Amino acid sequence: MKAAPFDYARPRDVGEAVKLLAGAGEGGKPMAGSQSLGPMLNLRLVQPALIVDLRGIEELRATSETTDAVVFGACVTHADIEDARVPDPARGLMREVASNIAYRAVRNRGTIGGSLSHADPAADWPSALALLGATVILEGPGGRREVPAEKFVTGVFETVLRTGEVLVGVRVPKVSRRARTGYWKFCRKPGEFPQAIGGVLDDPERGTVRAVIGATRGPPHVLGDARALLSRPGDAALLALADAAALADDAYDRQLHAVALRRALERLPA
Amino acid sequence: MTRIALTINGRPVKAEVEPRTHLADFLREAQALTGTNLGCEHGVCGACTIEIDGAPARSCIAYAVACEGASVRTIEGFDDDAVMAELRAAFTAEHALQCGYCTSGMLITARDIVLRLPAADEARIRKELAGNLCRCTGYVGIVRAVQRVLSARRSAATPNRPDTPA
Amino acid sequence: MTAKGVGARLPRKEDRRFLKGQGEYVANLRLAGMLDVAFVRSPMAHARIRAIAKPRGREAEVFSAADLLGVRPIRAVSGLKGFKASDQPVLATGKVRQVGELVAMCVAPTRAAAEDLADLVELDLEELPAVVDMIEARSRPAALVHEEWGDNVFLESLADDDLSGIRRDAAVTVRRTIRTARQHMSPLEGRGVICEWNRRLDQLVMHSATQMPHINRAGLADCLGVDQGSIRVIAPDVGGGFGYKGILLPEEVCLAWLCRKLGRPVRWIEDRREQLSANANCREHHYDITVYADARGRLLGIDCEATVDSGAYSSYPFSACLEGAQVSSILPGPYKMERFRCRTWSVATNKAPILPYRGVARTGVCFALEVAIDAVARALKMEPHEVRLANLVQPGEMPYLNITKKHFDGGDYPEAVRRAARMIDVAAVRARQKRAETDGRRIGVGFAIYCEQAAHGTSVYFGWGIPMVPGHEQCAARLSPDGGLELRIGAHSHGQGMETTMAQVAHSVLGIDPENVRLVHGDTGLTPYSTGTWGSRSMVMSGGAVAAACDEIAGRVKAIAAKLLEVAAQDLVLENGHVRVAGTDRKLALAEIAHVWYRKPQLLPADVDPAGLEATAGYKAKVDTGTFSYACHAATVAVDTETGHVEILDYVVVEDGGKLINPMIVDGQVFGGTAQGIGTALYEEMPFDAQGQPLATTLADYLLPGATEVPAIRIDHIETVSPHTRFGQKGIGEGGAIAPPAAIANAVNDALAPLGVEITESPLTPRRIAEAVMKARA
Repeated sequence: MKAAPFDYARPRDVGEAVKLLAGAGEGGKPMAGSQSLGPMLNLRLVQPALIVDLRGIEELRATSETTDAVVFGACVTHADIEDARVPDPARGLMREVASNIAYRAVRNRGTIGGSLSHADPAADWPSALALLGATVILEGPGGRREVPAEKFVTGVFETVLRTGEVLVGVRVPKVSRRARTGYWKFCRKPGEFPQAIGGVLDDPERGTVRAVIGATRGPPHVLGDARALLSRPGDAALLALADAAALADDAYDRQLHAVALRRALERLPA
Repeated sequence: MTRIALTINGRPVKAEVEPRTHLADFLREAQALTGTNLGCEHGVCGACTIEIDGAPARSCIAYAVACEGASVRTIEGFDDDAVMAELRAAFTAEHALQCGYCTSGMLITARDIVLRLPAADEARIRKELAGNLCRCTGYVGIVRAVQRVLSARRSAATPNRPDTPA
Repeated sequence: MTAKGVGARLPRKEDRRFLKGQGEYVANLRLAGMLDVAFVRSPMAHARIRAIAKPRGREAEVFSAADLLGVRPIRAVSGLKGFKASDQPVLATGKVRQVGELVAMCVAPTRAAAEDLADLVELDLEELPAVVDMIEARSRPAALVHEEWGDNVFLESLADDDLSGIRRDAAVTVRRTIRTARQHMSPLEGRGVICEWNRRLDQLVMHSATQMPHINRAGLADCLGVDQGSIRVIAPDVGGGFGYKGILLPEEVCLAWLCRKLGRPVRWIEDRREQLSANANCREHHYDITVYADARGRLLGIDCEATVDSGAYSSYPFSACLEGAQVSSILPGPYKMERFRCRTWSVATNKAPILPYRGVARTGVCFALEVAIDAVARALKMEPHEVRLANLVQPGEMPYLNITKKHFDGGDYPEAVRRAARMIDVAAVRARQKRAETDGRRIGVGFAIYCEQAAHGTSVYFGWGIPMVPGHEQCAARLSPDGGLELRIGAHSHGQGMETTMAQVAHSVLGIDPENVRLVHGDTGLTPYSTGTWGSRSMVMSGGAVAAACDEIAGRVKAIAAKLLEVAAQDLVLENGHVRVAGTDRKLALAEIAHVWYRKPQLLPADVDPAGLEATAGYKAKVDTGTFSYACHAATVAVDTETGHVEILDYVVVEDGGKLINPMIVDGQVFGGTAQGIGTALYEEMPFDAQGQPLATTLADYLLPGATEVPAIRIDHIETVSPHTRFGQKGIGEGGAIAPPAAIANAVNDALAPLGVEITESPLTPRRIAEAVMKARA
C-alpha cells in the first residue's frame, strides 16, 4: 500500500503555507503529525497533488498563556499535553484526554490541530474542545478568523475550513479552581477509535454547565446548558437526549451514547 | 525527488527521495536497514516502531521527507544500548518472541516504557504495549520481560539516567 | 534428560538474530535488478470478465491470463466420493469469483510504481449476484460459483446412525443453531514471494514465506508444466503462519512465470489491505446441533447438520474439504455417547478459498458442542463442569476407541476438568455471583474441553481424501570435521523454535551441546522431502526423524571410538560432547572422532560404515492416528450488560501434551494459541455485505487482540507420555486456539443466564451481547 505520488513543501511561516495551499486549491493538503493523513495516503484514500508540511513553522509549535486561557499552536502534540510540557487549562482533563488517544507512538507525532482539522467523528479533541468551549484560530488568504470549536466540525471529516485556510491554533479558556470535569468513552480496545464519547464540565464560578456527546454520525453534539444533567436524570432522559440529537443509527448506538454521558457524569468528583 | 539530510543511528545521511516514500521504506530499501518490519502500513500494528528524535514513532506513517533534520534510531541503532541489552536478555529468558516479526518494534516500545514509566504496574505495561500487536506469544512473555527489567532496575535503585547517545 | 536436552526449558538460539533486527524475512532479501509486482484484483465478488484494458504504451508491463500461455490452473482434488473439482486459474479467466481475485499482474522498478500502473488498468466486469451466505448458497442459491456443478456444494457427507431410541428416551433435548464468523489468520508478516533464476543450476529459485516448501515446489511444477528438479523453494525466516502460509499461491505461480519471462528477479510482498480484503478464509461454520441427555446429564447422543463456508476454490494442497471432512469425525471429542449422526456440507461461496487455521475444524466443533453441553447443564440445573465429568472418557478406559473410531492413546480428561475447576475456583465465582458487583457488571465462569489429534499420518489423511498425504519424515544428519552437528529437515519454523528444540533432541541422543548443533530447514535444495509444518506434527515427526538420524550417527561414532579406545561399542556412553568408556575417565571428543573420519582414515576400523558421519533416517509415529493431546480451558468474565463489553478476569489452561520437549516453548504455544482463540471469541470477524464485499479491510476494523485483551493466562500441565512417539511427546501447537471461544461463550452465558440470555454466535461482540440483553428485557 504505497501512496500515490505527491509534491511536498515545507514552508517556514504561516503566510507561505497559506499561499501554497491557496495555490493548490482542492489538490493541496496540510500535514502536521501525519498520524491520520499517513494511513489515508498509504491506502490511496486521498491523493493530493501537494502536501504542505506545517512542522517547519516555529510559531505553530508554541503555546502561550494568559490569565484566562491557553493558546496551543496547531502542531502541539498529544504527548506534549500528556506529559504536561504545556499547561492544562482544564485542570487535568486535557492531560487525561491526551493520554488516552491511540498509542504513545501516535501521540508523539499526532497534533491537536491535525486531529481537529481531520475531523474524524470518533477523535477525542473535537469533542473535548467543544466541551471546553474552545475557539479555533484559522488563517487563510482572507486573513485570520476565529470559530468556536463546537461549530468548527460540521460533519464526518468536514470542517468550516475554506480553500487555502489552515488551522493555526486553539484557544482554550481556563476552567476555574472549583470546576469539575468528567469524560468517558467506549472503545472495543484501548487505543482504538471510540464508539461513544460523553463529557461534562461543571464550572460554577463561571456559571457554566456543559456536556458533549461525541463519536456520533456527525459533529460532536454540545449541550450548552446541561444543568439538568447534574441532578442525574434517569436512563430514559439520557436516551431521549441521544435520540433528539438524531445521532445514532440504532438502539444499541443510542444506548452507548446515553451510557457514555451517564458515566461521564458519574466521574465528576463529588 | 526531494533532497533530505538527517541522522540515522548516529550517522549523517543525505539522500534523494520521492515525497511519498514513507520512512520505513526509506530505511529498508534505501538504507538497507531491514530490522524494521512492515505489518500494516496504516499505523495500527506497531511492527514498524522506531525512534524519531528520541521518541517512539511509527515509521510507516511518517514520510522520509518530513524527517529532514531529524535523528532517527532503528533497532540496529540499539546494538550497544545498555537498557536494550537488559531487555534482550529478559525477552529471551521469558520467551517473549516466537517468529520475531513484531520484536523490533516491541523492543523499542518496551524500552520507552522502562525509561519513561519506571513505576509501571502490570496493567500500565499492558496499556503501553497495546499499540504493538503480536500474533504468536499472547503477550505473556513480553509483559513478564518488561516486568523483569523494571523490577531489576528498581532493586538496583538506579536513577533514571539518559540512554547512550545515538 | 539434562539441562539442555529433552525436557529442558532451554532459551532459544534463534532469539539472537530477531532481538537485533537481523531476521531474514522474505521482504528483506535484496537481489540485483529485482522488480516489484502489484496485482490488479477483482473489486467484485462475482462477475463475468468482459475486458481487461492495459494502459496504452505500458502493455509490456501488464500481464493477464491471456499472456500466461501454458500455465495450468491450480487444482486440488479431494479423494472423497462425490467431491466436485474446480480449477483455480492463477489469473482470472472468464469470471471472477471473489473480491480480491487476481486479474492482472503489473511489474515496475518499485512497488509504488507498480501500484500506480495497476491503477491505470481498466476492468470491464458484468456483475453477477454474489453467493455470500452458506446456507442460502446450498439451499436457495442466487447464482452458481461454478456453473458446471449445478449447485454450490463441494461435498456433502453423512455419518448416519439411528437416533430414534435416544429421541424417545432423552430427558433433555437441547437444539441450537450456532454460527462462527469468517476470520483472517493475520500473521504479522503477510505472504511474500521472490523469484529468481539461477543460471548455473538452470533452476528457478523461489523464496517464499511458506510453511511447506516441498509442497509448493510440487504444485508449482504442476502448474508450470516443468520438472520439479528445475525448481528450488526456500522458506527464509517466516513471520508467523498458523496455516495462512500452507498453500500454493496463484501469486507464486504468476511470479515464477514472470521471472522466467523477464529473466530478472521479481518480488511481491502482500500488504495488509490485500491480505484482509482478499484472504479472509477460515473458521466460518454453521451448526444445527441437537444434544440428547438423560436426567443425570449423561449424553445419549448428538445429531448435527454442519455447514462449512469453503469459499470459491479448492486450495492446494489441503482442498476445500479438509474442515468439512473433519467435522463429523471430531465433533464428539472426548465424550462417550451411544449415538451420533452428522451431515456435513462444504459449500462454495464467493469468498477466499478456505484454509485450515490453527485448530482447523476443532475450534468450531468445540464451540458448537461445548455451548450445547452448557445448555444441557442449565436445563438440568447442574454445574457445567460436572456434566463434563459425567461424560468424559475415564483414564481407566484408555486406550479408547470413540464413537467415530478415533483411537485415544491415553490421558486423564476428567482430571484436567477437575484441576481447571479448582484453579478457576468455581465455588468462589458462585459466591461472588450472589453478591451484586459495585460496577453493575455480571460475572460468569465457563469451561471447554477438547482433544487435539496431531501428527496424524498416512491413513488418516488418505481417509479424509486430502490430496497431500504425509508419509515418513526424514532427517539428514552430518557431523562436521570439527565435531559440529548439522541437521536438515524439510519442516520449517515460523515461530515454533525448531532451531532450539531439534538441538535439544540431538543433545539427548548424542550428548552434543545444542550450541554446536545447526538446523537447516525449509529448503528443497538442502533438505529431505517433507509435507511441511502444519497439524502440530513437527515435534513428533521431525523430532522423531532427528532422533533416528542421531541414533544412526551415534552408532557410527561409537564404532569408530570403539576401535580408537579399544573397547566394545556397547561399553561406550555419549555425553557432554564426548564418547566415554563407561565406568572410566577415558574419553574422546566428538571432534576428535570426526577428525579421524575426515582427516585420518588410516585409523578407522576395517569394517567402518562407508556412509561415514552422514546419515539420513526416516520416522513416523507408531500409529497413523498420531497423538491426542488435550486441555481443559476455564475462564471467568465480567460482562458490562449496557455496553456489552467483556473483560476476562481469569483464564486457566490445564493441558496434557505428553512429554514436553521444551516446556517454555510449549507454554508459549499455549499462550499464543489462547490469544488467537480470544480473538475468535470476542473480536475477530470479517463480515460481508450482500454483494460479497468484505467490510473489515484494515486493522482498525479487523480487531486483533492486544496486550490489554489477553489476560495473564495460567497453565498447569499433565504429562501423560504417548506410547507412540519417540520421547512420548504429543503435538500441541494448535490446542490453545481450540477452546477459548467455547470457554468464553460459556462464561458469558453463565453470567447472563439470570437475564434469560444465551449467545450462540461468535465473536461475542459488545453489540451482540448488549442487543441480546436489550431483547430479553423488552
